[in-house]
Amino acid sequence: MSRRPMNAIGRSAWRRDGVAKVTGAETYASDVVLPRMWHARVLRSPYAHARIESIDTSGAEALGAVCLTFADVPKVKYNERIVSTPPYLYRDRYVLADKARHVGEAIAAVAAPTEALAERALRALKVEYEVLEPLVEPARAMRPGAEPIHATVRLADAEVPIEGNIAVARTIELGDVGAGFAEAAVVLEREYVTSRIYHAQMETKSVVCRPEPDGGITVWPTTQSIHNTRQLLGEIYGLPLHKVNVKRVAIGGTFGSSIQMNSVIPICVGLALKARRPVKLVTTREEDLYDHVRYQTTIGLRLGVTRDGRLTAGHMRVLADIGGHNIQAYPLLSVMAGWWASLYRLPAMKYEGRAVYTNKTPSCAMQGFGNPQVSFAVESLMDELAEALAMDPIEFKLRNYVGLGGTFWGQGPSVQSIIRSDGAPELLRVGAEKIGWSARPAAGSATGRYRRGVGMARGFHTSSAGAPKPGEVIDYTGALVKINEDGSVDVVHAMMDHGGGTLDAIAKIVAEELGVPADRVGISPVDTRTTVYDVVTHATRGVYAGGAAAQRAARRAKAILLDYATRVLGIEADALVIEPDAALGQGVIHCPAVPDKRITVGALAKLCQTNSWGSIAAVESLRPVHCPPAFVTYFVEVEVDTETGAVTTTRAAIGSDCGTVVNPDLARGQLEGGLSKGAGYALYEDARWDAESGELLSRGFWIDSKVPAMSESPPLAGLETFFATTWEPTGPFGAKGIGEAATNPCAAAYANALANALGIRFRELPITPEKILAALQAAR
Amino acid sequence: MRRMIRIRVNGEWRELSVAGNALLLNVLREDEGLTGTKYGCGIGECGACTVRIDGEPVLSCLTLAVAVDGCEVQTVEGLAVDGRLDPLQEAMLDTAAVQCGFCTPGMLMTARALLDETPAPSEQDVRDHMKGNLCRCTGYASIVRAVLEAANRDGGPEMAPKPPALGAPRRSRGAPRTP
Amino acid sequence: MLTFTNSHLLLGELDYVEPASVDEACALLAEHAGEARLLAGGTDLLVQLKLERAEARCLIGMRRLPELRRITGEDGLVLGAAATIRSIARSALVRGRYAALQEACEAFSTLQVMVMGTVGGNVCNASPAADTVPALLAFDARAGLRGRHGERAVPLDELFVGPGRTVLHADEMLESLRLAPVSAGTGSAFLKLGRVAADIAKVSVAVRLDREGEHIRDCRVALGAVAPTPVRSGEAERALRGQAPSAALVQDAARAAADEIRPITDVRSTAAYRRHAAGVLVQDAIRRAWARAGGREIR
Ligand SMILES: Cc1cc2nc3c(=O)[nH]c(=O)nc-3n(C[C@H](O)[C@H](O)[C@H](O)COP(=O)(O)OP(=O)(O)OC[C@H]3O[C@@H](n4cnc5c(N)ncnc54)[C@H](O)[C@@H]3O)c2cc1C
Ligand code: FES
Ligand code: FES
Repeated sequence: MSRRPMNAIGRSAWRRDGVAKVTGAETYASDVVLPRMWHARVLRSPYAHARIESIDTSGAEALGAVCLTFADVPKVKYNERIVSTPPYLYRDRYVLADKARHVGEAIAAVAAPTEALAERALRALKVEYEVLEPLVEPARAMRPGAEPIHATVRLADAEVPIEGNIAVARTIELGDVGAGFAEAAVVLEREYVTSRIYHAQMETKSVVCRPEPDGGITVWPTTQSIHNTRQLLGEIYGLPLHKVNVKRVAIGGTFGSSIQMNSVIPICVGLALKARRPVKLVTTREEDLYDHVRYQTTIGLRLGVTRDGRLTAGHMRVLADIGGHNIQAYPLLSVMAGWWASLYRLPAMKYEGRAVYTNKTPSCAMQGFGNPQVSFAVESLMDELAEALAMDPIEFKLRNYVGLGGTFWGQGPSVQSIIRSDGAPELLRVGAEKIGWSARPAAGSATGRYRRGVGMARGFHTSSAGAPKPGEVIDYTGALVKINEDGSVDVVHAMMDHGGGTLDAIAKIVAEELGVPADRVGISPVDTRTTVYDVVTHATRGVYAGGAAAQRAARRAKAILLDYATRVLGIEADALVIEPDAALGQGVIHCPAVPDKRITVGALAKLCQTNSWGSIAAVESLRPVHCPPAFVTYFVEVEVDTETGAVTTTRAAIGSDCGTVVNPDLARGQLEGGLSKGAGYALYEDARWDAESGELLSRGFWIDSKVPAMSESPPLAGLETFFATTWEPTGPFGAKGIGEAATNPCAAAYANALANALGIRFRELPITPEKILAALQAAR
Repeated sequence: MRRMIRIRVNGEWRELSVAGNALLLNVLREDEGLTGTKYGCGIGECGACTVRIDGEPVLSCLTLAVAVDGCEVQTVEGLAVDGRLDPLQEAMLDTAAVQCGFCTPGMLMTARALLDETPAPSEQDVRDHMKGNLCRCTGYASIVRAVLEAANRDGGPEMAPKPPALGAPRRSRGAPRTP
Repeated sequence: MLTFTNSHLLLGELDYVEPASVDEACALLAEHAGEARLLAGGTDLLVQLKLERAEARCLIGMRRLPELRRITGEDGLVLGAAATIRSIARSALVRGRYAALQEACEAFSTLQVMVMGTVGGNVCNASPAADTVPALLAFDARAGLRGRHGERAVPLDELFVGPGRTVLHADEMLESLRLAPVSAGTGSAFLKLGRVAADIAKVSVAVRLDREGEHIRDCRVALGAVAPTPVRSGEAERALRGQAPSAALVQDAARAAADEIRPITDVRSTAAYRRHAAGVLVQDAIRRAWARAGGREIR
């Protein structure tokens, strides 16, 4: 692969689905309408913890509704996120619950000709519960003798018991931790508490299912993975996969909330099969608020460092509150260890993670999957250590960070690779210049009512879950590239685009590889029947893995094309090149040494068709064998009103090392979006539960999760994004990922900026005016 | 109670039979097939359902259909005229202000209303006007840029005026552009 | 026990009527005895119906009552009950002279809600956090009520009984709000703290000062979201009245207000924070109002 000038990659253009999205023509799952379609509603538990004694559906049926209860659904325990390999899949749920484990748990469902009628039928269902002690807080759930939220779960082929409501635990120890701490001149130990925040994706989870005459089903879901949805539906409903067709439709944001097959999907399928007609299920915001949150964690962190600023040892203890179901606690504990191990070199480290079931909304991945939590703790403590050593935090971090040649744990201990591109120093240098780092005030030196401070934090996310040997995580993808009879190109790829521009990037990669103009590459509408497997759009793997598979397929299609060109032009394929010709709107195949021998891709493709030579298409699969870190660095400046505790973001400089920047404008959008979500995590957002009832204190109001609006984003003049000039040798055209990295260190940057402004460290998220004021009053 | 109402949707008079409790959002999406207008929360908090009624940005999730009898309703589908995008739509694409796109229709309606009323808004005007439209993807900066950019284009003297849209609310000027 | 509501829809049959006069509206209210509700902008009522915190069989629309949307300047300021928040924020009669009211309207969380929501709805919904109410209290607003049996005027601070409750009879509606005239020496300000900009208040304060030379001749200090209803702080007003403002005086007034209120801890904030922040906002609002009244900078 060479670093030749590129024609498609690195250029901004209207996104392919852009016109559809600005004209209202784009189809999301909630927009799908089918003939004879009925509407579904789900009955949700009002209790945090309860046994279901009985369900009487007669009233609903009298209204003409079709009802679904535990008795109707297959007794197949499943785990909704089949990204882990089977030995690490903890299966603990059925399509409808055998027991209510959180407020909002799906107990039964109805379908009727209209949603209004379905709602009436829902209210005619009579459920008797035996209410159990709500174990809303982890401490209560772990208390000896507490009622088990799950007595057993299914792991591989066995039912395994759950003790003390601990869903999983994981300990990792490397090196001699005791000796490491003994060598340290300074040891600091702190506890960090992160919040449960709501993904707040704009589209509530939705699905439409149509039973087919052949006994199969077609499904239009909100999901990050059409293939995993298909496999799970096949498994649960005992359908052969060729009869389960899952369509890709646009998704109105997800941020991890649809990494799993959403629980409403199999419910809708069950109803459609029973009603023998299409059924649509669009959740309300009230329901969605009870459906998913980011993992809440308490992190105890101890780090030792020598006088000259070398880390000697670390000890991290994590307690993750996972809610009522174990969607991915095992990988969470693994990746959190990995993020920590990959931030800074630790000659000795001990990691102890535990994940506890509680009677709350189940947690799932949310942008960064454990990384924002770890980064908040580590980047805060590193800042504090630098202060203790009287070192510049940038210098201290550069001395210890894991960079070029280091080992990166992209997905816990089983997914490791060697770092081959490293923009971290560049990001720190450029960001420091942009924010005026050297001119920032000494911590706590500001006076007056309004005080400004500058904070910095760095981090990364993995690009894919690729590794030299298959581990606990599946990362597998594939693509079909075909060249049409006019020289345009179809890319058939199962990957989802959550809005970040993954599919546009893939189209550009294909255009670049083939040498055709980017606007002649189309992304085909797809479903699971017409695509090869892709695991899921997550782990910032869209461009790095999905793009690489498409590139591989394009390369093979190109080889086929050039073979035919040899036939026509009489020139060896190796001597031919394809270059885009803007005037022709075509790729042109030619031999630089023999200028008169040329043919457009379209003319050649047409010849292939009319002469029946064969189609120009290739399908390729790919398992990435590396997982390069996409580094990111945040510098933020805040202003605090010390009378009210109100914080405003006055400036921010966010740098990303995503290797080659494939979509420049969309990459900037990823960083700006990362800031907004990161600021929400740092300052505003928190989903709070009543400790007794297990209800959300927000009581249906989305506003109470305090998603930042336009007024919270910093002024345009104060907002800078920039990119490192790196090239990832293992990535398509030097690219790696960006998406999740874009938010990971943000909360820590805010905490550090506040420490700089006020001389006070905040270790619990969100850092609200209430907490700031209380801390200021305590300090006075 | 069902009642006949007449509303002018994107320039076309429509006669509809609606129930007393029918919400404009659902009438537009289900009866009129205009699914560009989105449900995000149903209670006024997100702005995804914003449409224009007699030019004003209004939440269709909190509007009874019977209460807009006789009104002019514009949805995102009514922004482009004869297949030509509104300068605001183009600016949204030019600045990559569209990611998942679920907030986009509501954003466009609020922003168009702003520009029609305040052709040269300041950045602060844009933020004040649009804080009721949530977007979880973009972090808003690109949307602010798009609105400011569209304001420039709307007023640009080099632009030829658009043909007046049939019955559409007061519209801005702009020339077609290709990506 | 929690009910999962369905904000996709309005459940339940609804009748919708548009009376042509206020009298007709009152008659309809009486006729439907408790089952009819006035629908202004619907930004409170429809939310409450959707979240099943209110019930109604009949909604009475006010579109055919244009006189209720009027804003006039006779003998003070008269706001028709159905005047939208946005129309008040942009009214030339309001700007400058009733600065606190304008600021309160502009502090509304979103443009769409300002376009739809009305001052009458804001008042009659009787939320302790209603933004216009502290400002209206600062201008001694009187609520003009009309029912089947005639009209009455109620001082706004006597209108509220508790959260969501007013003294309105079942057949009564709010017609107008009459604000006291202001003089050249009047200055006012409204300040609000939310969790994010697009939010209802966790604390709000409105202050009106009438300046006479270096002294405060008369004043109002009103607060929102710190008690079961929006409240005036009599103690703060007493502290200020007749005095020449100084830093110490402003602090005393703020302390008096903070001591007088009864804030609670809820999902939006804590009682302690509200008490402190209320004091801060009172000070800030006094300083602004005084400057607007033409007073010299307070030291
Ligand atoms: C997303 C969102 C954000 C909001 N933000 C704010 C905010 O920042 N600040 C704030 O103060 N409020 C806010 N609100 C609340 C609401 O918008 C305001 O209270 C608004 O002023 C209500 O006016 P309306 O015309 O919509 O009232 P409606 O909902 O139509 O009516 C409210 C109540 O008053 C009654 N009513 C209306 N008019 C009359 C009348 N003339 N006589 C007697 N009774 C009457 C109705 O029957 C009903 O009970 C918000 C609401 C939403 C949904
Ligand atoms: S759906 Fe109407 S504001 Fe959210
Ligand atoms: S683009 Fe996704 S919510 Fe705005």
